[in-house]
Amino acid sequence: MIIPLLNVTNLSKSYDNIVGCKNISMSLYPGEVLGIVGESGSGKTTLINCLSGNLEPDRGKIIFNINNKETDFLNISESEKRKFIRTDLAFVHQNPRDGLRLNVSAGGNIGEKLMSVGYRHYGNIRSLATKWINKVEIDKSRIDDLPITFSGGMLQRLQIAKNLITSPNVIFMDEPTGGLDVSVQARVLDLIRSLVNELNLTVIIVSHDLAVIRLLADKMIVMKNGTVIESGLSDQVLEDPQQEYTQLLVSSVLHV
Amino acid sequence: MIEVKKVNKSFTLFNQNNAKITVFKNLNFEVNPGEIVALKGPSGIGKSSILKMIYGSYIIDKGAIIINNKNIATLSAQEILKLRKTSIGYVSQFLKVIPRISALDVIMEPLLNSGDNKNNAYKKSIKLLKDLNIEKNLWHLSPLTFSGGEQQRINIARGFIKDLPYLLLDEPTASLDSRNRDIIINLIKAKSNRGVSIIGIFHDEYSRKKLNVREIDLNIETKH
Repeated sequence: MIIPLLNVTNLSKSYDNIVGCKNISMSLYPGEVLGIVGESGSGKTTLINCLSGNLEPDRGKIIFNINNKETDFLNISESEKRKFIRTDLAFVHQNPRDGLRLNVSAGGNIGEKLMSVGYRHYGNIRSLATKWINKVEIDKSRIDDLPITFSGGMLQRLQIAKNLITSPNVIFMDEPTGGLDVSVQARVLDLIRSLVNELNLTVIIVSHDLAVIRLLADKMIVMKNGTVIESGLSDQVLEDPQQEYTQLLVSSVLHV
Repeated sequence: MIEVKKVNKSFTLFNQNNAKITVFKNLNFEVNPGEIVALKGPSGIGKSSILKMIYGSYIIDKGAIIINNKNIATLSAQEILKLRKTSIGYVSQFLKVIPRISALDVIMEPLLNSGDNKNNAYKKSIKLLKDLNIEKNLWHLSPLTFSGGEQQRINIARGFIKDLPYLLLDEPTASLDSRNRDIIINLIKAKSNRGVSIIGIFHDEYSRKKLNVREIDLNIETKH
């Protein structure tokens, strides 16, 4: 019997009187990719911000089970939480500028992340950073350049490298291909997909693009007005949606 | 063995005046190891729906579909994912892949995902590409740029690369010329000879005859 890596029960978060997300329960197993879809304002970002420690939920339980160690995420001390977020979680922002420091070199951005989890030896940091720059298909001659000289697609790939280099156990991605040109999107998608397969990553990905979810996610949940209205295997939810709203969402996709 | 027991399936289209379409009521059949079953009936009768229910991509409204002593209708998402990985190959009608990934990588992926080593996966995939008569200069290109028949064969290669006990084939020989159709027929036969239970939709009489299929006529099996 495999234990879920992440178990969420009755998670709720409101902003004054406005519902962010309400009574969310879900589980995620090691190596799974979970997609979250829903229109703007449906609570997708609130949910992953709560799960990744960026927001404090009002109610509910978040249990991570990593290497047989259970972490009650909402009931640990602030310092334990900071450490857990640093070593076990990663967050890829829609806008890579939110996840990178633009006045620090590409290699520096990655190196910082390594140092935050205890790497000290400069040579090791440099060689690991070079390896990852290469892995995300950025020419290694660019390692000392500032990210402001990078294109949008390169910045996103750099942000991904920065997040994955410390081998986190759960990776959150908020519209990782959202701000990119279509031609660049495919490349970033392909990169994410191959890294997921190669490193057996566990990922929670928010996207309003159903094609992205279809290609990347094993399972998905559909959110509306802060609640989960439908969940299941991605292909099942997309091909045989049981809820009115999901049917509307699926039938609204334009095909070229 | 695959057992389909008293299965009902309908679709409710909420955005089209809640129209309810009943596809089957009380559908029953089974497929033994090594047997090839062909689903027969006019377009729209639900042949693909049956394959999708067995694969878990359509909900089973009522009844049971038993594979490996497990009832697909009651499995959780992760149990279905696991069952697919270990037991069920599915060749869909159309190839769905990320742009930019080469044909070779598309075929290797199922093997790599179940932990096969790269060298082994590479060798197996190359052999299959050769068997399927895909020209060498295409191996490293994205199949999205290929002709319909070539895409179809890449799709088949991806479904056939692993040795799985159950195979679901949605028109595997459509859009192929006669030579390539014979190649696919032989591959399907080889799977069947190894004891694989196969359910397929074959649009042409020729393939059904060559494969010596047992036909299930959905016009008779399903009472509307």
